[in-house]
Formats: sequence, C-alpha cells, structure tokens
Amino acid sequence: MLVLDALAAPGRAVLGGIDSWPMADTALPEPTPDELRGLFAEQAIPFMDQLYAAAMRMTRNPADAGDLVQETYTKAFAAFRGFEQGTNLKAWLYRILTNTYINSYRKNQRSPYQGTIDELEDWQLGSAESLTQGRTTRSAEAEAIDHLPDSDVKEALQSIPEDFRLAVYLADVEGFAYQEIADIMKTPVGTVMSRLHRGRRLLREKLADYARERGYIAADTSTGSKK
Amino acid sequence: MTDCGCDKAKAELEEFLHRELSAQDLTDIQEHLDSCEDCSGEHLVGLTLTQKVQRACQEKAPEELRASILAAIDA
Repeated sequence: MLVLDALAAPGRAVLGGIDSWPMADTALPEPTPDELRGLFAEQAIPFMDQLYAAAMRMTRNPADAGDLVQETYTKAFAAFRGFEQGTNLKAWLYRILTNTYINSYRKNQRSPYQGTIDELEDWQLGSAESLTQGRTTRSAEAEAIDHLPDSDVKEALQSIPEDFRLAVYLADVEGFAYQEIADIMKTPVGTVMSRLHRGRRLLREKLADYARERGYIAADTSTGSKK
Repeated sequence: MTDCGCDKAKAELEEFLHRELSAQDLTDIQEHLDSCEDCSGEHLVGLTLTQKVQRACQEKAPEELRASILAAIDA
C-alpha cells in the first residue's frame, strides 16, 4: 500500500490541492490498479450501509436497493481514478447513486408528479398548518412524533413525492449542505430549499396523522377555531 | 442586543436547523429562541422530525451484497 502511506504522510499538504491527484496522463506517478483497489476498499466501501439505506428510500424494496448499490459501486470503481483525492467522496458516491437511480430505476416507475412536482402549489399538496394551530401544543406534537415507531416514519417518507423525499433524506439523514444536495440532484439551491421545506411539511402532517390514529395526540375535538 | 423577532426566526428556522445561515444569523435566531416559547416549540418539532427520520433510516447492507461488491472490485 505505497500510495496509502504516501497520502497519510504528514507534510503532504498537496492532498486537497487541485493538482494533488492527476486525472491521467501526467508526469506524476499514477497509482497502480492494486493501489487504486486498496484505496477504494478503504475509502468507498465503508459508505455501503449509508448508500444502501439511501437506495432503500429510493427504490422502496431490498432487491432493487441491492442492485442499485451494486451498480453504484461498479460505476464508482470504474471512475475512481478520476476522483480527486481530498474532495468529498461521500458526495461523489451519492451523485453516482442518484444518477444511476434516476437513469435506471426511476423511468420504470410511473409517477404522476414526474417533472411537475416543483410547480405544484402548496394547496395541491395538501392542507398545511392544520395540526398545530389551536389543536395541540407544539411540545405535545414533538412528543407525539417522538413516540412513533420507525415503521411509521418510513411509511410517511415513502408517501411523499420522490424529489421531496430525496431532499429531506440528503439533508436530514446524511447532513449534506444545501449546495451539495443541489449538486447531487442537479438542481438550483433554491429548488433544494423549496423541496426540503415542502417535504418536511408533508412529513410532519403525515406523522401528526399517525400520532392521532395511535392516540398520541387527542383527535380533533375543537370546533375548528384557530388561534 | 435586539431580538430579531418571530417573523425572521420562523422564516429561517429550517435553515437554522440545517446550519445554513451566517454566523450572525445563527446567533440572532438562537437568541430569539432562548426567549420565545412559541418559536422554540416550533424549532423543537423540526428538530424532533429530523432526529426521527435519522433514526428510522438506519440500515445495514445485506452480507451477500457486501460480499458481491467486494468480489466485483477484486476481480
């Protein structure tokens, strides 16, 4: 693992620099296929659980999620020589995952929203602000959400439009910055913010519904008066 | 120190939650949350939502998948 040692050596400040990892055909020594394989195993393989979790949210079933992750790693490995060491590998892998999903899997699923979801008005996505206004306190709402089983949360996530779900997943589960999500989803930051906002709002409403069904929040007995 | 008020806080709570604000805005909103029960309650709901989603989405890749991917790059 010569390359690994060299990269780990102190003083090798060029790591994050633009020229630190030549793409190809330059005078600097390139990693051998073995070294590249070692780097890939050490750096990219540890993201497998996370990529699989994301793939599960995208495809909604274990068989497709497995295929998607496998394809993602195959593509990532083939392109790994071009990955610039020191830049964000996780974001790079998610970009490949998302592209692969959109190109290979999404076209098989018929979504009535496809391509138009961002243009829908809020009222078309369902009523907002129905829960917290006057019916229950926010702390009661937070507590009720907190008590819901994971299965409810996953179900609620699956129920929201895909682009919203993905934005929520990338921000809230993976902790990507808005700009990184914009790069991964190939969309402007403003669209990311809008998808995130709407996705979280739909999710919150859905979870409030579940909480009410489970009796964690008193059913609506108010006379409809809002504060 | 002037309170930034509920309007600004509510408008930027989600960016606050995701740490997408300038240091100054983060401080302003934090200060407002410290003194406003309504907004801090709203923030708590948002935070709970994020934490629930994080916890619910943990998965472990199946062993066969791991083995198959490792075999593919070793080939």
